[in-house]
Amino acid sequence: MLSLSADLSDATVNLQMINGDLAAAEGDLAHAEALMKFAESFARRDEQALSAARDALARQASPEILVDAAAVAANFQRMVRIADSTGIPLDTRNAAISVDIRKELQLERFGSSKNTPPPGWKIKLLGLIARPLAKRKLKQMQQTTQDSIG
Amino acid sequence: MDHFQYSDSPYPIREGLVEAYRQYWQALASPGSWFSGVERIAIAAEVRNALTCPFCAERKNALSPYTLEGEHQQGSVLNAIAVDAVHRIVTDQSRITEEYVKDNIASGFSEEQYVELVAITVTVFSIDEFNRALGLGPEPLPEPIAGEPDHYRPDQAQSGTGFVSMIPEHGAVGKEADLWPNGQTANVLRALSLVPDGLRGWQRVAAQQYLAPERLMQFSSPTGRTINRMQVELVAGRVSSVNECFY
Repeated sequence: MLSLSADLSDATVNLQMINGDLAAAEGDLAHAEALMKFAESFARRDEQALSAARDALARQASPEILVDAAAVAANFQRMVRIADSTGIPLDTRNAAISVDIRKELQLERFGSSKNTPPPGWKIKLLGLIARPLAKRKLKQMQQTTQDSIG
Repeated sequence: MDHFQYSDSPYPIREGLVEAYRQYWQALASPGSWFSGVERIAIAAEVRNALTCPFCAERKNALSPYTLEGEHQQGSVLNAIAVDAVHRIVTDQSRITEEYVKDNIASGFSEEQYVELVAITVTVFSIDEFNRALGLGPEPLPEPIAGEPDHYRPDQAQSGTGFVSMIPEHGAVGKEADLWPNGQTANVLRALSLVPDGLRGWQRVAAQQYLAPERLMQFSSPTGRTINRMQVELVAGRVSSVNECFY
């Protein structure tokens, strides 16, 4: 989703911000390092680091940004548990679109990957076609929405 | 009692979040599809017990989460299967297996009960986690509302995806027509659809914590939040990575 939103915003982001170190916080994303520290310490339940990260984010960005970041972080504590407790596989459409990203981020090492079959040649081939098509379709959808608003 | 007043919060909490949480607390206290209000609140209490449960901490570090024996730190309302399920979902979700779910069903804990329990557990947990993220204590649980569960199971639910039955992609019709637009869904949305009100409950909270449904596919448009879509997805991705979320 980060990759798609960056592509569609014509922005440059380093995908290693998802699971790499803080040096990945470069590119066009404001407050990236503060958001990474906040999300990381929250998810690791490191309360001391979370307290410092919370203060830093509120100070460097704003209290409103902190609240919105907290809400998103809390949301994704739920989503992983829905997926893992029901054993759902990745949807075929998403599996095709995300083949290269899953490889880059080495997501197959996660235990919950067992619920999704490894990508065969059909999914890989579909991925080559599906990702550019998805981007084009999403851009069209956005343009339509903006036109209807404007 | 007015819940979620956030009078002790040093940060301004959006009204949309407050309303969504209050609405969920009201639903939590009411009879559900497979549990009474008392039982639903007991499930919520177990979400909190799990975080300080010594047995859960020991099991989290065990090579196999299914060989260790012990007793959970727990309340007195729920049976052992329900308590164990809540604690696993909170503390060790990535090692839940189909065999575990099927064994529970064979022991009399139905898949409908399991799905409603998952829905309550994850929604309460996400609300508690929002508070923790801001350095705030958990909201007091509501008082239960009397009544009986309605035992509603959608006729179109079927097995074949994941560990439990769910409504198929094109099955959001009739009473379930509001769950997603025809065919436009994802497995994570369908996952808890065996108990439609469970799905509705977490979706209303998600619409405030993450993004409103109509904004999900608008990747470079305003989010309606103070952070843009890339910032939203950075936080989402980082949290999911620590949680080892393949999905």
